[in-house]
Amino acid sequence: MRKEIFKVLVKRCFTSILVLFLLLTFLFILLRISPGDPSLKFISPELSPKLTALVKKSFSLEDSFLTQYKTFILNLSKGEFGISYTYRVPVVQVIKRTLPFTIIFSLVSFIIQISCGFLLSLKAVKRINGITDRIISKTSLAVYAIPSFVAGVFLIYIFSEKLNVLPSSGLCSFDTESYTTIQKLFDYAQHLILPLITLSLNGIAVFFKYLRDNLEEVYNKPFVEYLRANGFTEKDIVRKHIIPNAINPLISIAGVELGLLFGGALITEVIFALPGMGRLTVNAILSRDYPLVTGCTFVAGILVILTNLCADIIKAVLDKRIAKGILN
Amino acid sequence: MKNYRLISILQLIIILLFISGCQNKSSEKSARIICAINSDLVSLNPLFAFSDNEGNISELLYASLVQHDWDDKKGDMETSPMLAKSWEWSRDSSSITINLRDDVKWSDGQQFTANDVVFTFDAYSDPLVQSKLYGTFKNFYVDSALHIDLKKTFIVKNPFGIIINFKKNSAPTFYDIDFPIIPEHVFKNIYRKDLVTAEKELKPVTDGAFSLFEWNKNQSLILKADKKSFLYKDGNVSELIFKIVPDYNSELTQLKKGEIDLMQDIKADDCTALLKINNLNIIAIKGREYDYAGWNNIDPDVYKKTKRAVPNKLFGNYEIRKALTFSINRGEIIKQFMDNHGEAADGPVSPIFKEAFNYDLQPLIYSPDSAKKLLTQAGWKDTDRNGTLKKNGREFSFTLSIPGGNPRRDFTAALIQNNLQAAGIKVIIEKLEPEVFFQKMFNRELDAWVAGWTVSIPLDLKSFWYSKLEDAPLNVVSYQNKTIDELLEKIEISQNRDEKNVLYKKLQEVIYNDNPVTFLFWDDKLIAYNTRIHNINASPLGVFHNCRNWLTVK
Repeated sequence: MRKEIFKVLVKRCFTSILVLFLLLTFLFILLRISPGDPSLKFISPELSPKLTALVKKSFSLEDSFLTQYKTFILNLSKGEFGISYTYRVPVVQVIKRTLPFTIIFSLVSFIIQISCGFLLSLKAVKRINGITDRIISKTSLAVYAIPSFVAGVFLIYIFSEKLNVLPSSGLCSFDTESYTTIQKLFDYAQHLILPLITLSLNGIAVFFKYLRDNLEEVYNKPFVEYLRANGFTEKDIVRKHIIPNAINPLISIAGVELGLLFGGALITEVIFALPGMGRLTVNAILSRDYPLVTGCTFVAGILVILTNLCADIIKAVLDKRIAKGILN
Repeated sequence: MKNYRLISILQLIIILLFISGCQNKSSEKSARIICAINSDLVSLNPLFAFSDNEGNISELLYASLVQHDWDDKKGDMETSPMLAKSWEWSRDSSSITINLRDDVKWSDGQQFTANDVVFTFDAYSDPLVQSKLYGTFKNFYVDSALHIDLKKTFIVKNPFGIIINFKKNSAPTFYDIDFPIIPEHVFKNIYRKDLVTAEKELKPVTDGAFSLFEWNKNQSLILKADKKSFLYKDGNVSELIFKIVPDYNSELTQLKKGEIDLMQDIKADDCTALLKINNLNIIAIKGREYDYAGWNNIDPDVYKKTKRAVPNKLFGNYEIRKALTFSINRGEIIKQFMDNHGEAADGPVSPIFKEAFNYDLQPLIYSPDSAKKLLTQAGWKDTDRNGTLKKNGREFSFTLSIPGGNPRRDFTAALIQNNLQAAGIKVIIEKLEPEVFFQKMFNRELDAWVAGWTVSIPLDLKSFWYSKLEDAPLNVVSYQNKTIDELLEKIEISQNRDEKNVLYKKLQEVIYNDNPVTFLFWDDKLIAYNTRIHNINASPLGVFHNCRNWLTVK
């Protein structure tokens, strides 16, 4: 069995590499055929066409499509994405600045989403269609319908502008050099409360909806009645039988959600001025910074593939019967 | 029981966070000013300061030979010493002898000398560096790659004395030597081509009024006044923080809350609400940015295929262009959208240039009747009474392109569409992604569009209006007029300010008659700031120019 799983994992790695390669090739073609000139903003209006061409040449965009693609693949095989046109440093360096924040921010938000969604769904299914269930279900639907830019601005208005208890943007205060580590941590936490709530609200609603429906479905299965008839306590039934049976479909959703979070949360990052991958990627697209767009896509692609793989492995560990099927 | 404990701990954490949040607000530093900017800087190196913010901030870090300030009374610039203590122009203005200050030290303790000046000119003009000023040293002796010939140009008399020789028959001014000087000892050992990437690894060694204290990428840039600098005066602002806030509404909230002290590009709609807040004030910097409706004077399809300039079938006639100008109610945009924070434009010279501005030209006021008369004279009539003008079986209709994501352009385009529809002209609005829009505009592929230009200080209109299109990349409407060419050439070589002003007035008159574009309005730049900042001398050079002289009160 172990050998088989190993084989399947190796196979999965190969297909993942192939998917990444196709993704980047597709992106390369898309970027080159899309209109827009990345060198435009670096060219002084006073330059003659001859000199303009010289500046453009320094961007290596005057080469033929095939030559550019060859260089791109060659660099990629060395793990290089080139120099960012905007930041004028290697793409890896630019991504390194924002990736740690994005990963930590996404993970914390993900934990909040999962745990709140889980706790709320447990509360709701205690009495299906009861008052608590109905209130939570309707509220979650309303929360899901609120776009994050509305939620963010609303939270800033209440907690920052009116109550003046939380900062409205940024990652930390300016005077932190005199702070102790604990104070610094509090300062970070304080700055991240509103962004985390904004980013997590939709996810909580999604996880709640999925989990509540799964729990309800499992609750209504005959084996639950059988367990009750055999004298098992409600707590044991939920903990040992209902949750493990209901949680599997949620893991797949969680894998996809985490992958998306790692790609960056553009709106939250813009509203709260946070230095994340979302802002970086969109700015790179808008300024036609081809190497940086490629680098960001690569990182996002890797993270989506990895999180999905992790989700599948967790599912396989929880239910060995479907291990091979899932991993394939 | 366990649940209750967990909930209690969570509650405690939240309360602590809120308390610490409240405490923080009282620790504001009074001599510190926080200004919002909407995107992070890429470089602090003046060689690569491509954006306005980069230019302004690098000038705070690095001093220049001379300083230019705006004289509002004259409507022109005034030159004063900075790193240059004194100077003397030769009789024919072909060279300048500069005596440098001997009391300037770089932030790493090294002495500033004339070698830094020579190195700076060399680096700026080096084709390998591709600096922001590359290719613009027209009054200097340069080689075929436009690299300054150092031997011919500079004579270093002593560490604090230098002579700069300019090209024969050129018209050099102080603007030719006004840019931040960089330290030779920091950059000389770096391969020129690598300067663009190498500077990231270096902590800026500066000699300006401020030095870099901290740069949290995508968060904030903290500058501290260099109290040893010759530019520092007691009582000046001691700390300047540029906080990056990409979202306009977040910026506004922070301004109201006092989290930031200064915000640029305020929308006219928000002015009234902001002025109601006690500690806020708003200043309007008179415009040197204008919006215009561009009419491609040549046929874009023929130009694309053959690079030949053939008059546009619709906009090639100056009377038609004038009719279009008469048809557009520009005052409505200023009143409705800009809340009167701007003024109608009728030419490419802003009224801020008081001596060069031609006050004799009567503004072209919205007049549908005059437009109708001109269009009828040109043969455009509504023959089949369907509301659209026709000539030789062709309807008067065209596509008006605008860049997306700009509400003012949306409003302007909609107003133009309505106004022209009333005049019998069909307009289809096409919204393009900004990068696509600008690429098409610079390639002269568009028929008609709405965009804006910023007029440079000092005035330089050649690249906007010169007929030789290869030499005038900003002449995107492809306007061609020999009189204008002659005037521009004369302006370029003239060294007499009064003569230049006369020529500029003539130039405005010709453009006024030809209407190569419909000039819409000069846009005031609105800045809101906390009243604890004093001595803000907001000039057309930007709010941060001279911000070292800002004062703060508690």
